[in-house]
Amino acid sequence: MYNSVKKYLKVLVLATAAQGLFATAAYAQDPGHYGLGRIATEEEVAGWDIDVRPDGLGLPDGSGSVSVGEGLYEAQCASCHGLFGEGEGRWPVLAGGEGTLTDDRPQKTVGSYWPYASTLWDYTRRAMPFTAPQSLSVDETYAITAYVLYLNELVEEDFVLTKENFLTVKMPNAEGFFEDDRPDVKNTACMKDCKDPASIKVISTIAGVSPTEHLEEKGAEESEAAEPGNVHGKAIYKQSCAVCHDHGVAGAPKTGDNEIWADRLVPGMEAVVERAISGYTGEDGVMPPKGGNMSLSDEDVTAAVHYMVEQSQ
Amino acid sequence: MKIKAKMKRDMAVIKVLAKHPMETGLRKDKKTDKIIPAKFIKELVCKHGDKVVFHADFGRSVSKNPYVSFSFAGAQKGETVSMTWTDNTDETVTVEAPIK
Ligand code: HEC
Ligand code: HEC
Repeated sequence: MYNSVKKYLKVLVLATAAQGLFATAAYAQDPGHYGLGRIATEEEVAGWDIDVRPDGLGLPDGSGSVSVGEGLYEAQCASCHGLFGEGEGRWPVLAGGEGTLTDDRPQKTVGSYWPYASTLWDYTRRAMPFTAPQSLSVDETYAITAYVLYLNELVEEDFVLTKENFLTVKMPNAEGFFEDDRPDVKNTACMKDCKDPASIKVISTIAGVSPTEHLEEKGAEESEAAEPGNVHGKAIYKQSCAVCHDHGVAGAPKTGDNEIWADRLVPGMEAVVERAISGYTGEDGVMPPKGGNMSLSDEDVTAAVHYMVEQSQ
Repeated sequence: MKIKAKMKRDMAVIKVLAKHPMETGLRKDKKTDKIIPAKFIKELVCKHGDKVVFHADFGRSVSKNPYVSFSFAGAQKGETVSMTWTDNTDETVTVEAPIK
């Protein structure tokens, strides 16, 4: 995952720069540092340096089996990605789609599209489960990776994935990626005897291709005035909660189902709001903290819950 | 075909993903301009022992790789269920799974 490595490097630089603002004078006199910043500690670097590369570089010691992975996957991943990796609702599909890359509607999954198993390992530890990234241990990550490979029929049921045998896993689309060989991607800057700029004609632009009308905020106030009730709660709900709660995706109690909500409200509104803010794992599935949108304030979430309850009475 | 069978209280909950193209026979291959022959599951049957606990008649309108979920009473952990599909070309596949 070259791209993510690049992104990660950028974060590293920014983080170091930001810390520099608060650094003590200890390194301030270092030549070449403009009096800013300090050298990242080994611990800090180790915390960031978790990428795993296609050649296996960066894989920690450890192992995990398909059968252990099955239990972990069903508890922590299936509510979104589906029991068979088929994807619940509109959550990403993780398995299947072999041979569809040249179809009208290709299905790009780990098995059909991803060139390296290392990306699966890296991404799972780095970013999943969606609501609790970097919560999996090394062995759990090996086990879940093995299981997702198994769902894609790339390894057998009794397979145990380890650091040592990692590179034996071959991904079907490994050869599907290549360096862009079109001549115009290797444009070198012209430094002398260059073309006269006046002779260069623009033959097309992308102006007018992307619709932009929706970016203009018109009528927002009007509709707010026209619609009485919990407008703020509704807006938050539509933006951050409806994906799951509109249709009961991933076990979420459906908004508008009076019976379910009457039951849910037995412990009291306050308890229910608290669970929506902090998140929890219940009988039916995982309610991520603030629905996974951590930019919401507690008040936003409270308003959304009130809206949901109003719609379910 | 993949099956998951699990006891939830006194019911066995079965989830099945049948791998099948579910071609309607009405679609044209864009490159050759020829009709892609029909190939779709006609029948899906689940047995617990020799008792049929689920039976579905499918047709052309069911999407690719059908996903089916149902539950039934009267099963125990450790027993097995078997699932069979048969398609319009009389191809048939049976898979068994333990109830967990
Ligand atoms: C709350 C829902 C949720 C849960 C639970 C969850 N994921 Fe995800 N997963 C997502 C979303 C959303 C994305 C897409 C993220 C993005 O593109 O930024 C994703 C993307 C992925 C992808 C990349 C798919 C692709 O083709 O781009 C993988 C692999 C993955 N998840 C694995 C896992 C694993 C393994 C677990 C369990 C440890 C897990 N996920 C748990 C929601 C979830
Ligand atoms: C990823 C899907 C998902 C999203 C997004 C989501 N929820 Fe939930 N929510 C769930 C699930 C699943 C449950 C049920 C968990 C259980 O009880 O097993 C739940 C339960 C709840 C409950 C009931 C709590 C209780 O005490 O019974 C409330 C209230 C709630 N969500 C509010 C919200 C709000 C507000 C938002 C948006 C800010 C939101 N949810 C977004 C999945 C989601």
